[in-house]
Amino acid sequence: MTRQIAILSGKGGAGKTSITASIIKMMDSVVAVDADVNASNLPILLPYFPQSTSAYYGMDIAKVDHDKCTGCGLCLSTCQFDAISQSEDGKIVIDSDCEGCAACAFVCPVNAISMAERKGGDWYVSSINNGHLVHADLIPGEDNSGKLITKVRGAASAIAKEKNIAYIVIDGPPGTSCQAISSITGVDLVLAVVEESLSGLSDYRRLAELVQKFSIPHFVLLNKAGFSSEVEGRIIQAADEFDGKIIARIPFDHKIPQALQSLQSLADMPEYKEIIAKLLEEMKLPLKD
Amino acid sequence: MIISVVSGKGGAGKTTLAASIAQVFSAEFYDLDVDAPNAEYFLQPDFSKTTQVTQPVPVFSEELCDGCGICTKECRFHALYKILNTVYLTEALCHGCGLCEKVCPQQAISYRDASVGDIRSGYSKRTDNMVHIGDLMIGSTRGTYLISEMVKKIDGEKLSVIDGPPGNSCAAVAAIKPADLVVLVVEPTPFGFHDMQQTEQIVRQMGKNYLIVANKAMGTDDVDQFFQDRTKKAILTIPLDDRYHKANLQGEILSQQFSEIHTGLHAAISRELEKL
Repeated sequence: MTRQIAILSGKGGAGKTSITASIIKMMDSVVAVDADVNASNLPILLPYFPQSTSAYYGMDIAKVDHDKCTGCGLCLSTCQFDAISQSEDGKIVIDSDCEGCAACAFVCPVNAISMAERKGGDWYVSSINNGHLVHADLIPGEDNSGKLITKVRGAASAIAKEKNIAYIVIDGPPGTSCQAISSITGVDLVLAVVEESLSGLSDYRRLAELVQKFSIPHFVLLNKAGFSSEVEGRIIQAADEFDGKIIARIPFDHKIPQALQSLQSLADMPEYKEIIAKLLEEMKLPLKD
Repeated sequence: MIISVVSGKGGAGKTTLAASIAQVFSAEFYDLDVDAPNAEYFLQPDFSKTTQVTQPVPVFSEELCDGCGICTKECRFHALYKILNTVYLTEALCHGCGLCEKVCPQQAISYRDASVGDIRSGYSKRTDNMVHIGDLMIGSTRGTYLISEMVKKIDGEKLSVIDGPPGNSCAAVAAIKPADLVVLVVEPTPFGFHDMQQTEQIVRQMGKNYLIVANKAMGTDDVDQFFQDRTKKAILTIPLDDRYHKANLQGEILSQQFSEIHTGLHAAISRELEKL
């Protein structure tokens, strides 16, 4: 049975990716997933060797056959997404706001509208030192990253099964919307990276609510700590309220972003390696020898 | 006149900069980071009004529905499913497109309004103007819809500041679309440069005027190099400084606390607004 762990934060920039990379680098054997598909950064920190690239198709897009179209405009009044307009010469134009519902195609009296595939991005399988990495790049501005997240997670599960790898570690997206849900459905444990700030606290509460809804246990890593004992106290209180055990505390230290500049993570810093090792132990993840 | 603040990467300092710009110009404020809205901790509005944002979702008539299941097959969002002869809706997946109603041979489907989230509004003493916070229902797929509904309420005649969502998907596009001026916040790290360049690509494709602020800068070499081909765009570099960090985490507005940030933003953005 594969165990899946997702690292999330609610707030962006709390340190998800740095922490995820640190955990992965210290693990024995792992399938890593970057589920932040529209700002994918995990591959920047993990040396990887590309193996395969696959195209990702999101929702379809409506296409007009101008030879058949009579310009009646019924599609215009049907579209709920303001994605259809008519130029002065009567030509029907469909723009990128199309959500692919196909209502226009259904109502068109002359069958001039069909639904066409729309490329949303690419996803990749690569090998890393101690396992595999699955990540994706959404084309900037495209929609439906929830579907793409499901896709990369599915690929990761297949690899874990095939190669008999016991752990999947997922670097989650920011926020608490459907992308976050796509990243946590079916996972065994969530690690919430909480930044010591009022914004970090607020977004943690939203995330904890979501995680609780799915009955997934979670741990908390307090990050960028040490400036305000008042804010830290409130985070500890919130973690207690949501049953999130605090398993690590990392101070606000300029050395950490400095190390990031040269693509080093906490696992590469002697003074923090120990904290990450303990973190793995708490999460019952086997350490590399 | 609308200024949108975006960054690609989360945590680069969108809200920090958006709140500061709104404070400097006493602008109306729209928090469009609807699934993790944080501007209220900086602007501290006195909330006076909550507006529910709804979209239509289907309702099935028990009398008329014969359980044929055509709607469940036609729905492209997989929002409908059938157990025995009853059709059920997963409301969080519904886009309100209206297709199910049209394909139903029994005319058994009508619509009701369902909430996707709220807009909370109030006056902020710190900006001396109104603040509107978008609050998406947790777990919803309809973030871009909520953003677009909020954008419709913006009065383009007045000066407004939009605090955008992170990432580079359609949600970011929706927050950039109404802008007369885009402020791109870049955190000068490998992550920050990577994500910001994707946002910059979107902004350029949309033909928007934009300026760049570097936030949490450590050495200046990287920033200088990055700004080399963007000299006309770069307006301000804010260093990674414990004083800024501390003020920020407690919800202080940087432009209110530090005159160098107030002056820097005021000079550069006024110049750009005059041009527009």
